[in-house]
Amino acid sequence: MNHEVLPYRATRDFLSGALPFLRAGVRGGETVLAATGPGNLSLLRDGLGGDAAGVDFVEATEFYQHPARTLAKCVKAADELARRGQRLRLLGEPIWCERSPLEVAEWQRAEAIVNIAFAGTGASILCPYDLTLPLPILDGARRTHPRTVFGANGGYVDPWSYLSAFDHRPLPPAPESAESLRVDMADLFWLRAFVAEYGRGAGLGDTQIQGLLMSVTEVATNALRHGTPPVVLRLWTEPGDLICEVNDGGQWSPQPGVGSVPPETGAPGRFGLWAVRLLCSIVQVRTGSAGTTIRMRLPAAVV
Amino acid sequence: MNFYERPVSELRPGDHAWLAYTNNEEQATIVGDFVYDGLRTQEKVVYVTDSRPHELPGMLSRFGIDPTPFAEVGQLRLITLEQSCLTRGRFDPDRLLTTLDREVDVAFDQGFRAVRLTADLSWALRQPGGADLMLGCEHRFDAAVGASTMALAICQLDRGQCSPEELAALRDKHEVLVEVNPEFDDGVLKITRTFRPLGLRLEGELDGVRHAVFADTLTNIVPRAQKIHLDFKRLDFIDLGALNLLATWAMRMPGGYGLVLDNLPPDVADVIDMLGWHRFPGLSRGQGEQQ
Repeated sequence: MNHEVLPYRATRDFLSGALPFLRAGVRGGETVLAATGPGNLSLLRDGLGGDAAGVDFVEATEFYQHPARTLAKCVKAADELARRGQRLRLLGEPIWCERSPLEVAEWQRAEAIVNIAFAGTGASILCPYDLTLPLPILDGARRTHPRTVFGANGGYVDPWSYLSAFDHRPLPPAPESAESLRVDMADLFWLRAFVAEYGRGAGLGDTQIQGLLMSVTEVATNALRHGTPPVVLRLWTEPGDLICEVNDGGQWSPQPGVGSVPPETGAPGRFGLWAVRLLCSIVQVRTGSAGTTIRMRLPAAVV
Repeated sequence: MNFYERPVSELRPGDHAWLAYTNNEEQATIVGDFVYDGLRTQEKVVYVTDSRPHELPGMLSRFGIDPTPFAEVGQLRLITLEQSCLTRGRFDPDRLLTTLDREVDVAFDQGFRAVRLTADLSWALRQPGGADLMLGCEHRFDAAVGASTMALAICQLDRGQCSPEELAALRDKHEVLVEVNPEFDDGVLKITRTFRPLGLRLEGELDGVRHAVFADTLTNIVPRAQKIHLDFKRLDFIDLGALNLLATWAMRMPGGYGLVLDNLPPDVADVIDMLGWHRFPGLSRGQGEQQ
């Protein structure tokens, strides 16, 4: 697979990197997708001329809704193509402005995960980065892309190390006002009743609640089976988010970025944390001397 | 008429219940429990049939017993069609009602605290005018049983012998639809066999502490070599482990068969969509509910 960054300042630079990339795919009979903002989409359409018919253009706001779900969808498509001896070619320019720091971090993690998840699919991915973006975002791009359009990228960091660094950033503590519940029974029926009620109060919809219940059940079941008591569940809200966290006293040492990469399909099996990442908007896993914490966030309508 | 479903073990005196069975196994499961529970609890059982005691549905297949000794001491009474409801070879509802009234009185005089009545009248439907005769007598039968403090009854019909219109009309004459006893019910999760389509109905919440009992039920009850339906209509929660368990089970089914999830509540369907159905090979979305 190939995962390149296209840094650009002027339209000319953007097009001189993007157009040959897309054209090569169209002419090579590949499945070609371009996801970017409306301005760049129309530049690409115009620039491609007749080749535009061979490209699937998607608005970035639609494509980049949810890191894990976007990854899941693309990896599935690339896998299916690879099985038929074909390749996916994607030009993807994520949205960075108007994202909270937490969301930015999730999308930066996703850029690193791309290098692992698409390995073996033969996919070719080009990510334009506007050089007027804030420095930390550009720095992330430098670390998560093995190549630039100009050649090898000396700043590239092994994706597992990159994820590991992210997953060692300390979390702000849960607020004093958080609802807290000790989980000591294997039967999680009452725990779910408690969480569902809290979720309803925070304005979650039925589907969100069902997803939260599945996530909490999965995480709490793991903590009870493999962690060390006490297992404590905490719930609170922040503007726009419901946060649910499960903490246990165990010092689990998972591989970095655990559950971040879509597991292989074709056989059923446990894919717990990956599923939790699909169901929640942001999932943070922290493990260390303070025990193991899984913090799950869902967008909440009311705070 | 409004009707409600009730497991066979929860029938009470005054219940005039209806059973339209799909196959012999469903009949044996429900009628077998009905007769066996009566014999076991010293209630009288009156069965209108030309069969002999050991041929009654479910006796040998479910319980491995020959109830002939119960017939010999009078706790089980089998009455032939000729003796109970035929007049010159034709179905005679008046005679059936008279017979049943008499049997309830006899049971009372014998000191039984309850009497269980049942008959499979599928044959009568096929006689000329049979359906109308039966429709015409159901309300009298309903009144007779409903007023009784000791009689409970199941009217049996073979679904395969009736038209959909006859079935609907006859069902409307009964307030109680009898169904199988649940295979499992702990107040959180209830698992019930279904015969049409073949499978299980899940109600409540299915999570880790109930995986083992659920897997056992699947293995013991459900044949692998058929398409199996799971009715999720009243399932409020299913955990990831149970979905994996289902997919693992489905993968072991012979080629082409799988598990069909019917009546998925919209929120459960949404969650499986988010995870991706391809993660659960062998499971497919069936009819009903969702959007």
